[in-house]
Amino acid sequence: MIPAWLADKGRLVLALVLAVVLQTIVTSQLPILGVTADLFLLLTVLVAIARGAGVGLVFGFAAGLTADIVFLEPVGLRTFIYLLVGYGVGWYVEEFGLQSAWMVVILAGTASLLSQAVYGLFQFITGSAGGLLAMTRLQILPAALVDGLLAAPLYLGLVRLRLLPRPDAGDPSFR
Amino acid sequence: MPRKTLVRRRVAFAALVLTALVLMSVFFREPATGVLHSVQRTGFDVLSPLQGLASRAVQPFQDGYRWTKDLLHANRRNREMAAELEQLRGQLVLLEEARQENERLKAMLELRDAEIFPKGSTFVTARVIGRSPTRWQEWVEIDKGTADGVALNQPVVGATVPLDKSLSGKGLVGKVIAVGEHAAQVQLIIDPESRVAAVVQGTTERPQGIVEGMVPGKLIMDYVDRDKVVELKRIVITSGFGQIFPKGIPIGLVESVGEEDVNIYKQIEVRPFVDFSTLEEVMVLTNPVIVGEKLEDMRSVAPQQDMGTGSR
Repeated sequence: MIPAWLADKGRLVLALVLAVVLQTIVTSQLPILGVTADLFLLLTVLVAIARGAGVGLVFGFAAGLTADIVFLEPVGLRTFIYLLVGYGVGWYVEEFGLQSAWMVVILAGTASLLSQAVYGLFQFITGSAGGLLAMTRLQILPAALVDGLLAAPLYLGLVRLRLLPRPDAGDPSFR
Repeated sequence: MPRKTLVRRRVAFAALVLTALVLMSVFFREPATGVLHSVQRTGFDVLSPLQGLASRAVQPFQDGYRWTKDLLHANRRNREMAAELEQLRGQLVLLEEARQENERLKAMLELRDAEIFPKGSTFVTARVIGRSPTRWQEWVEIDKGTADGVALNQPVVGATVPLDKSLSGKGLVGKVIAVGEHAAQVQLIIDPESRVAAVVQGTTERPQGIVEGMVPGKLIMDYVDRDKVVELKRIVITSGFGQIFPKGIPIGLVESVGEEDVNIYKQIEVRPFVDFSTLEEVMVLTNPVIVGEKLEDMRSVAPQQDMGTGSR
């Protein structure tokens, strides 16, 4: 018999592995609006929504570190951003609740927008990117839209796979 | 939330933020053979075959997506291209017109140097910008005037491409009968009021006469002695005796020769070298070399006319 806490953490690890596979095989091959969805970020947001700031923080760290390795980017950068996202989204949901299903979309879109902005700012500071305004138009806003729209179906999929709890399980205000 | 949990969460938050920053710092400081770089390379080595396979597997779907997307855009693109085509066609017409005009003007410049017209002549090229409204008069309006050196009674000759040795299109057109600053009126030699002293080339007799215009647009050479022999297809040129047209400007070819018992002169029909119905550019001889009296003297005699439009 597997202990509950281990099964719980196992599910999160499984979700992360699934994200690596899907990101590598599917998402990166199918750009939408010129950008590809960031499943690591989405997963961080969804875990934070479902499990709160504490788990969101740790999961964001793990997902960001994985993303740094998978995306071949400076190790620590996405780690830093995603742990902030996980903590921030978890804190918001703990404080204000998840009023409606649209909040999943809005939170994912906002998290994507902010993380992309921070990432873009870092690129701008290190001088390794083009114009920030051009990148806002070509990358940041489309990515936020795509991530936001993909959040809801991904959430439902993860719930159906029992990798995440039902969104309304602990929140009576959720509709 | 229990205070203990809150503290633990804050400590974890600080520790993870610190770890992330340390990772970042180490990554930027370490060489390419460092631990973090090695981990990243290993991850890349593991995932790249998967990506390769996925890329090939997804390719048909990507192609299908692009095909559908292209199909959806095809109609709009088609409309855009049709509009663009119409625009380009319009430009093509303008370019073709400019090319033809350029060709004509170039030919006129070359014509100036050819020895068709009297030596020493200088030309002002002009475009025909208006025509007489009826066939009762035969004149054209040109876009050059006194500002360009055009003056009353200056001869006007044709300048039709292609430039070759033939005289077609390069004969006498008429003379300036009214002049403004930037335009002038040219009486054509086919005008009923036109008179040009002429001579038939090609024989030793060189019969002389007056070429007159006749309605509708014919040329008759009158006052040619009946005892002079005139052959068909001979060239008729200006004789220079009329004080306006210099000697040697080609007028046309002898088309037919008529004789009447009651008329002491031959009547010769002349086919002009210039097609007056399609006249587009002409050249005004601005310093015609006149046999006999000087042009300046003649100019002082010529009546001063304006380009009044009230009579048109």
